[in-house]
Amino acid sequence: MNEAYRVEADALDADILAAIAAQNVRDFDDLALRIFAHQLRNNEPYARYCASLGISRARMPRSWETIPPVPAGAFKEAALCTFDPARAELIFQTSGTTTGAGGIHYMESARLYDASLLAGFDDAVLGDAHQPLRYAMLLPSVEGKPRSSLSYMMARVANTFGDGRPSWYVDGDELDTQGFIEDLCESRASGIPLCIAGTAFAFVNLLDELARRGMQPALPLPSGSRIMETGGFKGRTRVVERIDLYKQLADAFSLPPHDIIGEYGMTELATQYYDRSGEEPRAKVGPPWLRSYAVDESGKQLPSGIVGALVHVDLANRSSCAAVQTEDLGAVFEDGSLVLIGRERGAELRGCSLDAESLRAVS
Amino acid sequence: MTALSKLPASKITGAISDAAERWRDADFPSRVRATQRIAERTGYSLPVVEYALDRLFFSIDRASLEAVIAGELGEVEILDGFRKRADRTEAWARPIGNVCVISSRTTIGVALLAALFALCAKCDVLVKDREDSLIASFFETLREELAEFERGARAELWRSTDDETPALDSFDAVVAFGRTETLAAIRNALPPETHFIGFGARASAGYISRESLCTAEAAAEIARGAARDIVLYETEGCLSLHVLFFEEGGAVSAAALSETLRTELERADVEFPRGEPAHERLAEVAHARALGAFRKSGSQDALAEPPPFLPRLAHAIPVANPADALEYVRRHGLALEGFAVSDNRPDIIGMAVSAGAVRLARFGELQNPPLTGEHGGRPRIAEFVRWTDKTF
Repeated sequence: MNEAYRVEADALDADILAAIAAQNVRDFDDLALRIFAHQLRNNEPYARYCASLGISRARMPRSWETIPPVPAGAFKEAALCTFDPARAELIFQTSGTTTGAGGIHYMESARLYDASLLAGFDDAVLGDAHQPLRYAMLLPSVEGKPRSSLSYMMARVANTFGDGRPSWYVDGDELDTQGFIEDLCESRASGIPLCIAGTAFAFVNLLDELARRGMQPALPLPSGSRIMETGGFKGRTRVVERIDLYKQLADAFSLPPHDIIGEYGMTELATQYYDRSGEEPRAKVGPPWLRSYAVDESGKQLPSGIVGALVHVDLANRSSCAAVQTEDLGAVFEDGSLVLIGRERGAELRGCSLDAESLRAVS
Repeated sequence: MTALSKLPASKITGAISDAAERWRDADFPSRVRATQRIAERTGYSLPVVEYALDRLFFSIDRASLEAVIAGELGEVEILDGFRKRADRTEAWARPIGNVCVISSRTTIGVALLAALFALCAKCDVLVKDREDSLIASFFETLREELAEFERGARAELWRSTDDETPALDSFDAVVAFGRTETLAAIRNALPPETHFIGFGARASAGYISRESLCTAEAAAEIARGAARDIVLYETEGCLSLHVLFFEEGGAVSAAALSETLRTELERADVEFPRGEPAHERLAEVAHARALGAFRKSGSQDALAEPPPFLPRLAHAIPVANPADALEYVRRHGLALEGFAVSDNRPDIIGMAVSAGAVRLARFGELQNPPLTGEHGGRPRIAEFVRWTDKTF
């Protein structure tokens, strides 16, 4: 490993970690451009792409919004990282489509990813939680799905913020509804609030199974409980609109809408967006080290509030590509919040959503 | 006996032609209503829908209908009774019976042509209509022309999940347009004696020879046609231009051709404004473009990239010769419908035929198939008749 590289990477990581700890990025442009310069020097396929767009060390962008975003699909085609991928501490893989291969996101250090996801989750989901929650994941465990960024994220969250008894209810393609119900009843009896996390598709399967068993609405969660939903329905035969899904979840678990929180993340990013409130239309907000804008078909930036393709600049992506262009349609507003449009049927999903396609409830 | 069996075929073709003539008028009230409903259903802009309806109804006339019938069956009158045939047995082309036509989500009016030829064959026809009720509206006009269509031509809207749907096994022939899985499901539901005519999802391609790229003006004309073939129906049709091959080594460079094509696409956007599919899939299109640029920066072979199948986006691929294009089609398993060509060079025509295209056209005409041609490589009326030979 090149010593100069290590010094630069460590310095950047320290600055990013400090920003995460402070929940404040003093000069976003400065840090973003320093990270970009680092990536231009050390991420060869990305540098080639930038060169083809006329961006090089001799001709640098002037602001974070002019850093060339790499298309998310490029993670399927090249190792987009600033280091030898054999040294990656974290390797996450997208589910891909039903026909295509998944993209791989190599991260040099787990420190940045962990710090970013924990800070974001704590702020957006836990907020005023008074006691540790018990985590119930409608997801495969990390052991079952070691390259799932979502499983990793929720494992880190549960280990850090949970009551020490996390449970995972997806194994292979099966949802263990019976185990979930039994555990939920135990939590209710002991009054321990739950955080149920899962993909939209898994929640639909769960609701179907509860209805089949005649258990709706009969499972009120203990006070202080929350639901975190992520992902959509791409490639699925059954699509439920998000508003309808949230209403059904609220009814089934007797939760107020603001305790059902939508998360928006991607395997290609280290940081996540979360719903700002339970009111519709739900705007999502990210932490200070994640910013976004929308572009038109040709990649030109659109004004605030205009619907386009979302581009994210995630400073916690120091060792890969900070700027990522997605297949997600949405609008970004002046306060930095964004509204997703039609992701239910839109782009490929992060983590486990596709794996949940053939979920079969264990009877 | 079918509702139309006692009518002379020429009377049927005449009535259809007269009804179509009324629909050629953009102010014809039924057409005005249908246009709006089609735009709502498909999300296509009104100029695109108007173009589709013009193309559809201007192509339907008595001469064309009868030319197809005569071409496929020998003569129109053979639908009316036994006729002597040169060097063959005397025969009568009788209706196959009840025909059900299941239309697809995106196409505008393609089910109508199948239904009309089934009617020309004097079959009883039921069309599974779309939410825009185009077929039902046209059948109303048909009934005004000829009362016998009241019983012979019906169009209904149903969903496969409805409690009561027509029993497909009660039909003698079923025509279906749609995705491969849909067609397979329909086919599997039919008894073996039912004649199934399926038109599945297909793609179209284009090939520009180096000779045709001789001047900037010639390149612009080709690009103009290609742009129209790309933007119409938001590139969702089987005759939309999805892949565009162009030969290297022409007088007009690849970069110049690309620029010309970009200009012509912008012009086509004005003539045929973007519809909802283009807006809804904007992010995917933007991503596909960026990904294409990323692949190019890594010198990835353009032949390795599959077509994007996104609104108003075609994959432009430089090739050395037609063999490259054929390899691409085979590598990506493209089922081809049309092939636009810039000239009549034999090796290009041979490649397009080998690639499986069932229609060769000039650029700009890809999405304008004539009624007098086959559809999807199949006859238009021959599959709706059952022959009775008289051998004494």
